Amino acid sequence: MRCCLQHKSVRLCLFAALVFFGLSACLSAPQTRLLQEQQPARLSSPVLLADVGFFPQEAYQCGPAALATVLAYSQQQVTADELVSQVYIPARQGSLQIEMLATARRYNRLPYVLPASLGSILQEVAAGLPVLVMQNLGLSRWPQWHYAVVVGFDLTDGTLTLRSGTRSDYVISMAVFERTWARAAHWAVVILPPGQMPLDDNPTRYFQVLADAEPSLREESMTTAWRAGVQRWPASDLLSLGLSNHLYGQGLVQDAASVLAQLLAVDASSAAAHNNLAWLMLELGQTEEAIRLASEAVRLDAAFTQTLADIQSKISSGK
Amino acid sequence: MQSTLSKMASIGMLASALLAGVMMQTTAVAAPSGMVSTGQLVQETRVDQQRSHVGAFLNRAEVQSLLEARGVDVADAQARIASLTAGELAQLAAQIDTLPAGEGALETLIFVLVVFMLLDIAGVTDIFPGL
Repeated sequence: MRCCLQHKSVRLCLFAALVFFGLSACLSAPQTRLLQEQQPARLSSPVLLADVGFFPQEAYQCGPAALATVLAYSQQQVTADELVSQVYIPARQGSLQIEMLATARRYNRLPYVLPASLGSILQEVAAGLPVLVMQNLGLSRWPQWHYAVVVGFDLTDGTLTLRSGTRSDYVISMAVFERTWARAAHWAVVILPPGQMPLDDNPTRYFQVLADAEPSLREESMTTAWRAGVQRWPASDLLSLGLSNHLYGQGLVQDAASVLAQLLAVDASSAAAHNNLAWLMLELGQTEEAIRLASEAVRLDAAFTQTLADIQSKISSGK
Repeated sequence: MQSTLSKMASIGMLASALLAGVMMQTTAVAAPSGMVSTGQLVQETRVDQQRSHVGAFLNRAEVQSLLEARGVDVADAQARIASLTAGELAQLAAQIDTLPAGEGALETLIFVLVVFMLLDIAGVTDIFPGL
């Protein structure tokens, strides 16, 4: 987990870099090559997010510095120093990815881990979001971990611009970046204020981000984030169920029910949505509707047989 | 010698990890009753992802040739992935992710997979109910 670029590791890094650049000629960067061949129209002009702040790293603390960069850009008052105690582990001279994500949540932000696609990074940067990335500047068997922030790119030149360590505008070859990033398992994250959406079109991924954030973010922020998700993907049962459960947790039974009713009007294939709406209808005193919905849940998925029986027995015992 | 020992040690570790998964199976959740929580849903989505991750691993050409060399039908192996529990899938997916480079490691993992299929046929374990 140690970050590169400072003090004792400098010599090590230089040597690793020599070895690495020596090898790089015969190594491949398949995503860079493909992007440069295809030149997707929306990525064709160079982008530079010049107003992303710069937090030069101290010692091995590239984690706190990179995280402060993206949090500050999403309008959070933060310094790298205050993040040190939250994400920096002195014994490892570095920061764990999982702690980087957890800390973003503590600052009321949604950490959205992007797919392992260089195009996806460029797309988010083009849409105005700096991307937090992890790199292994060394070799797989001799790792030098590093966090940086992608703030710009130029597909024609084949370069990326990073806030990296002590360098505020570090222009790196896209192919070299791809290889160092691939050796850190293609880890890339955008930090979203609640309500802002990534360009990445993946409702399941967005649902997972929100479900993980539910315990940490403020309640009204979560409402905003869930609603934004349902608005973008109205046919996603996961997102509607998430919003419905979130509203139910606040005692808003009627609102929770209408979210699921709207989903079923768009797409009636989710057994879980029928099941949950059945329970909400029961709570709202609409017993016939509850039984109809529970029966439909069982028809869609036999695993809900017990639900129907439970609802029937609750109704017959007068609750 | 050294490498044989370390290979055996890693087989032991993999096997115990998989056994832990087998034990988790007995405490599997019963049919849902009441509302489905967001936590349950997110767990289901992760299991689905791990299942396709392990499935994609089995689709790799070098994995298929290693399986075939051991007389395991790839289609059968794919079908068996469908019946792994959440715990077993998580273990396997994590093993695939941390697989060091080199054919030795891959062979070890496949060896463990095959051993578990054989144990199943022998009735020692019951990971793959289809057998």
